[in-house]
Amino acid sequence: MNMLIKIAFRNLLRHKWRTLLTGIVIAFGLWIYLFMDSVMSGLDRGSIDNMINLSTSAVKIHTAEFDKERESFPLNYGLTNIAALEKHLAGHERVKACAPRTQFLGELSNYEESMPVIGTIIEPKQDSMVFSLTEYLKGNYFSEHGVNEIILGKDLARDMNVAIGDNITLFALTKYESHNAEDFIVIGLFHTTDPTLNKSGAYITFKDANTFLDLENTVTELNVQLKRRINLDDLEQDMKQVRAYIDKQFPKLATYTFIELGAGVLELVKQKKAWGVGMTLVFLLIAAVGIVNSVLMSVYERVREVGVLRALGLEGREIVRMFMLEGTMIGFFGSFVGVLLGCITIFVLTTVGYPLDVIYKDMYVDTAGFPYWGTIYGEWNVPLIIGTFLFGIATAFLASIYPARKAATMSVIQAIRFF
Amino acid sequence: MAILTLKEIKKEFTKGEQKVFALRGVDLNIDKGEFLSIVGPSGSGKTTLLNIIGCLDTPTSGNIEYDGKVLGTLNEKALSQYRKENIGFIFQSYNLIPVLSVLENIELPMVIEKKMDQSEITEKAMDIIKAVGLESMAHRLPREISGGQEQRVAIARALVKNPIVVLADEPTANLDSTTAQEIIALMEKINQERQTTFVFSTHDPRMQEHAKRVIVLKDGAIADDERR
Ligand SMILES: Nc1ncnc2c1ncn2[C@@H]1O[C@H](COP(=O)(O)OP(=O)(O)OP(=O)(O)O)[C@@H](O)[C@H]1O
Ligand SMILES: [Mg+2]
Repeated sequence: MNMLIKIAFRNLLRHKWRTLLTGIVIAFGLWIYLFMDSVMSGLDRGSIDNMINLSTSAVKIHTAEFDKERESFPLNYGLTNIAALEKHLAGHERVKACAPRTQFLGELSNYEESMPVIGTIIEPKQDSMVFSLTEYLKGNYFSEHGVNEIILGKDLARDMNVAIGDNITLFALTKYESHNAEDFIVIGLFHTTDPTLNKSGAYITFKDANTFLDLENTVTELNVQLKRRINLDDLEQDMKQVRAYIDKQFPKLATYTFIELGAGVLELVKQKKAWGVGMTLVFLLIAAVGIVNSVLMSVYERVREVGVLRALGLEGREIVRMFMLEGTMIGFFGSFVGVLLGCITIFVLTTVGYPLDVIYKDMYVDTAGFPYWGTIYGEWNVPLIIGTFLFGIATAFLASIYPARKAATMSVIQAIRFF
Repeated sequence: MAILTLKEIKKEFTKGEQKVFALRGVDLNIDKGEFLSIVGPSGSGKTTLLNIIGCLDTPTSGNIEYDGKVLGTLNEKALSQYRKENIGFIFQSYNLIPVLSVLENIELPMVIEKKMDQSEITEKAMDIIKAVGLESMAHRLPREISGGQEQRVAIARALVKNPIVVLADEPTANLDSTTAQEIIALMEKINQERQTTFVFSTHDPRMQEHAKRVIVLKDGAIADDERR
């Protein structure tokens, strides 16, 4: 009945400050939630993408023997059937590319000091189809005819006091466990989002490693990149599918997806989401208490009014409806403002972005255990926005039940006798 | 013919341990078109009696009959319905809904009833508003008019649905004497023109002068019933 709406609405206007304050709590709660969710999703996506694009790839294949001793980066458990694997992978619609890599432990020396490094041997052309090292590179990438070229992490180079064009000596155990040393020329430096990589990462080519480490083209891992999908759930789905596809044909190999490789990150992502939801619940709880209080105040102030309305024939459930309308309207306006602000914020986050590097200067921002820098772009999550809006209204609706019922169950006589 | 009959109405309240006998057996017949005043000292049971007549409260024992219909057997919802259709109320103070305009306040009983469409409601309300001489204030809020004017609005609102009886609990208690006279004169005029039955309680001896019948309550019982 529109008379009830009219009365409820005008009463809200009559107590502007009370309405506004309660509304603001709801609006603020929802806004913070939407803002956080967008930034966090963007951040998480950034972290996950970076991990996949720099070190883990989406799906990684080892031999079972290598897998057992993976901690020590052994060179003698290489994949023997690369060609067949690659051919098989090419047959899957979600696979974009794959690239072989072999990692080894070594030491870098400039004859004054030496530092341990984790070496990664790559097939330059193929590797750049899967990994995006070049995006973070200063200087050059491996040239076709270059010999003994090395690319180092920026921090490592700084610690070793070398620059692009300098020579440096790399020590390592060959495949047959004999010590070897070789001079390499630094052709490029990378500054990635992964500090471990920046501090101890060194890249050389299979061509050079074959002589340096007697490698004989041993490939200890085959990395698979999938066609990009924005949504994390979709990506997880694809990764599982591809792994199943590999397992079916090559059951003896040890195949990992990012779900295992980045388990820590994913776990933290989920925890953070839960945390965000929890925080919003706290805000909404505060808002709910505010609404209960606000409507209850309304009820007590208007005891006589309720009595008069009852005397004029308004029924109990109409009284309930009137006060519930009042509470729910506060919730509606609060939620509307909150979601509107949220959408504006998300819009800015998705278009302009959130320049972490500007805000935090050179600091690494540790997110989910995996650092990230640069500009984060927020993400739209329309179902979440709609859900948040409805949730805000629902909270207000539920919060006004108690005081509204209180108003309706007051005896008419008590109401009119009040003064 | 009596439109309203009270038989052996008793009402007791329990205040903590104590029992208060607000009405100790009231018998009363009210005829159509009466202009009846209930007087008596404070605590004598005037308000209690009016509440029971108005179906705002139920008696502890006894019967009320409206037009031969016994109300004692009706449940809360039916009582509310009956109240809506047959009784108009004027309270001592805080009569009007503060967020509704004068016109909307007068329309309210009809809107609650949901039987007429809005244009009909407004038309009726405007008629009544003229009868109480407030047409120029139709769109003001209650806080923008005087106490006497508020009481006129309350009278208008009590009348819009042509109730069998209009009940008023000390309608002039908050008004100065000139305004009180005006209000009582207005009620009298309506009583004569429309044959609306009025039952009102009062402390004010000058108001009693206008009454055509005065019931004197004392300790919850009728001490005197005087017709003029
Ligand atoms: N809800 C109640 N609870 C307890 N006692 C009540 C209640 N209502 C009325 N009473 C008692 O019943 C008696 C009659 O009260 P009532 O209000 O009818 O008197 P009244 O004649 O209207 O008085 P006044 O002239 O002061 O308005 C009083 O003793 C009062 O204290
Ligand atoms: Mg009284």
